[in-house]
Amino acid sequence: MNRRKLALPIAALGALALLVSGCSGGSGSGSEAGDPNAEFEFWSFTGIGQKDSVDRYLEKNPDAKVKLSEVGSTTETATALTAALAGGRVPDLVMIQNDDLPKFVENPGNFIDLRTLGGDDIGDGYLDWAIDGATAEDGSIIGIPTDVGGLAFAYRADLFEKAGLPTDPAEVAKMWSTWDDFIAMGERYTEATGEPFVDNVETSVFFSTVNQVSQKYYTPEGDLIYDTNPEVEEAFDVAVRAYQAGLSADIPAWSSGWAPGKANGAFAVTTAPSWILSGLKNDAPDTEGKWRIASIPGVGGNWGGSVIAIPARAENKEAAWQYIETMLSPEGQTEHFATTGTFPAAEAALESDEVKSYTDPFYGDSPIGQIMSESVLNFQSFYNGPDTSAIGAALLNALVDMQAGNVAPEDAWQRGLDSAKAALGG
Amino acid sequence: MTVTASATTTATATATVISVRKTRRRDRPPSRIRQSIGERIAPYFYIAPFFVIFAVFGLFPLVFTFYVALFDWNPIGEQTFVGLANFERLFQDPRFWNAFVNTFGIFLLSTIPQLALALGLAHLLNQATLKWANFFRMTLLVPYITSVAATALVFAQIFDRNFGLINWVLNIFGIPDVNFLSSQVGSWVVISSMVMWRWFGYNTLLYLAGLQALPREMYEAASVDGASGWQQFIHLTIPSLRPIIIFTVIMSTIGGLQIFTEPLLVAPESGLTCGGGRQCQTLALFLYEQGFGQFEFGYGSAIGVALFVIVVVVSLINFYLTTRTRKAR
Repeated sequence: MNRRKLALPIAALGALALLVSGCSGGSGSGSEAGDPNAEFEFWSFTGIGQKDSVDRYLEKNPDAKVKLSEVGSTTETATALTAALAGGRVPDLVMIQNDDLPKFVENPGNFIDLRTLGGDDIGDGYLDWAIDGATAEDGSIIGIPTDVGGLAFAYRADLFEKAGLPTDPAEVAKMWSTWDDFIAMGERYTEATGEPFVDNVETSVFFSTVNQVSQKYYTPEGDLIYDTNPEVEEAFDVAVRAYQAGLSADIPAWSSGWAPGKANGAFAVTTAPSWILSGLKNDAPDTEGKWRIASIPGVGGNWGGSVIAIPARAENKEAAWQYIETMLSPEGQTEHFATTGTFPAAEAALESDEVKSYTDPFYGDSPIGQIMSESVLNFQSFYNGPDTSAIGAALLNALVDMQAGNVAPEDAWQRGLDSAKAALGG
Repeated sequence: MTVTASATTTATATATVISVRKTRRRDRPPSRIRQSIGERIAPYFYIAPFFVIFAVFGLFPLVFTFYVALFDWNPIGEQTFVGLANFERLFQDPRFWNAFVNTFGIFLLSTIPQLALALGLAHLLNQATLKWANFFRMTLLVPYITSVAATALVFAQIFDRNFGLINWVLNIFGIPDVNFLSSQVGSWVVISSMVMWRWFGYNTLLYLAGLQALPREMYEAASVDGASGWQQFIHLTIPSLRPIIIFTVIMSTIGGLQIFTEPLLVAPESGLTCGGGRQCQTLALFLYEQGFGQFEFGYGSAIGVALFVIVVVVSLINFYLTTRTRKAR
């Protein structure tokens, strides 16, 4: 009797064991030497235009076979990759956004050290800070930068003119060359028009300022200093001061009011990393010609960017590597920029005429390429640890909460530190 | 001719088999038991698919969650046993208690008015005098079949501070813009209205089905006795529907305490926190943030275990309260 009672659960457990072991033993059949033209599976996120890149690759390599899956948003792709690495079938090639990268870099064993495929000088041609972000403690390089998020501000020339401010990108950049100047300029605008100056302070001010530091939330050795680093507190304080000066429209990026706000002139300035430029066009098509692009206050900036990596258990490493070699070369990145507007991470591409001379009539032919490449070339490197994005989110949320009136400006910094501490485990 | 021949062979063969069986039967004790073992086992195979699938996708994850909750579990790195440390951390974590309060706030704000309204509307729809009753009954299901994502997008637009419909109407009456999503109660209202919109019709139909099963004569008799509509509702409808009310309360409890999609989509700009101050982050969303946003599977699992316990406890309380009313009667 007892035995029969047990039979079913045991059978179920057996099936489970099969499932589990079947899932985790994926490495088996792939041949190490590999065929560079074997079909490989490529996970990318949506909205980054990798379809174009794959099409061009197939033109160059008619024998190659690629299975491209656009998994979802950047976060969804990172989640799917985590699940795959933890015990599922892994893709041969995968894109990882810079924000999600530290968690993967912390466990480099999950990925191929690309130096084994491309030699020790593999990272030389790319922006230092971009390749640093993909380099593990043991020196292995697990990802090649596909693009960076060269940072600039987009502003409404027509509204600036009404407020009596200069409209030419070079003049504007000069006028707001420091963050204090930026706040002063915003006060002038608000006084003249009665309208807020920027969409919000958390992404448009804090994201820029907190990335203009020499050390951010960690020391280069990986010790947490977010709560003691005066550079971070100062960056946060700039955002608080901008809010206190009445500059913020308190419209968070991607909130339901953001797109209409851009179309209706609810604010005059918003952050514009390279990958947002096409989104702004879609959100406010009727404002064509009214926007301009200028460099942000301070020195250099970056928001976003991603790398491409090969999981250690990938079956077609050679084929994946051939794709990286072909498409992530400076020429490949320049071409990709020309078709999709994603900003290259290879230095030679950033110096190329195609990139530097890029303009767009929607943005009044502002020298976008020039401004953005300078922005990323001037950007300084700092160490990002596994909790960089969690700390960043906690501080950012404190600013959001401050603009909503839920926390006083003078308490916002402490609120941010407290929730960062909670995020790190108390 | 051949046909007859083969037929005869078969007949002989059958005869042989029968005789063999007969002899066997004579040799051995009656095999009733053996036959009935087959019969007794067979049903288990018929029901097996559900229970096997449940074991793999329901029971195993549940048990495994309890196990993972005891670890500092990085899915792509190291897993170290930490005992109950995750739970200790959980009870001291203000974010957990915040999510706890939000979950109950949204749950109460959506469930109670929703079920009350559904009950009332079901009563109205059950009136014999109502024309187009079937049309109204059908329309009730439309919100339910609309995707949650679409609902969330539309509601986020309606409640938007700067360009939303509600604030536009309020402005007409001279009331300044209300920033619903930035305050705790405001965001609860937005999410609760979404939940209500989605489930209200579904529950109405459940109640209506229950009401249809009641004999019409009962209401006629009550009318003859001079009971008003309200008295009929209180003294006939509600008591007769008690089993269904219990069912809807339990289902709403389970669903309401696990609410996830609405708060995730109503403020997409703030990612998994539902607002800068986590003002509408529910337990399920907090679980997801920790597990799949931060990759803290151990901590996420601890939240899952806590959520499991909360749902069981609240369901039991609900069950106790709703069944107790009968005894009181």
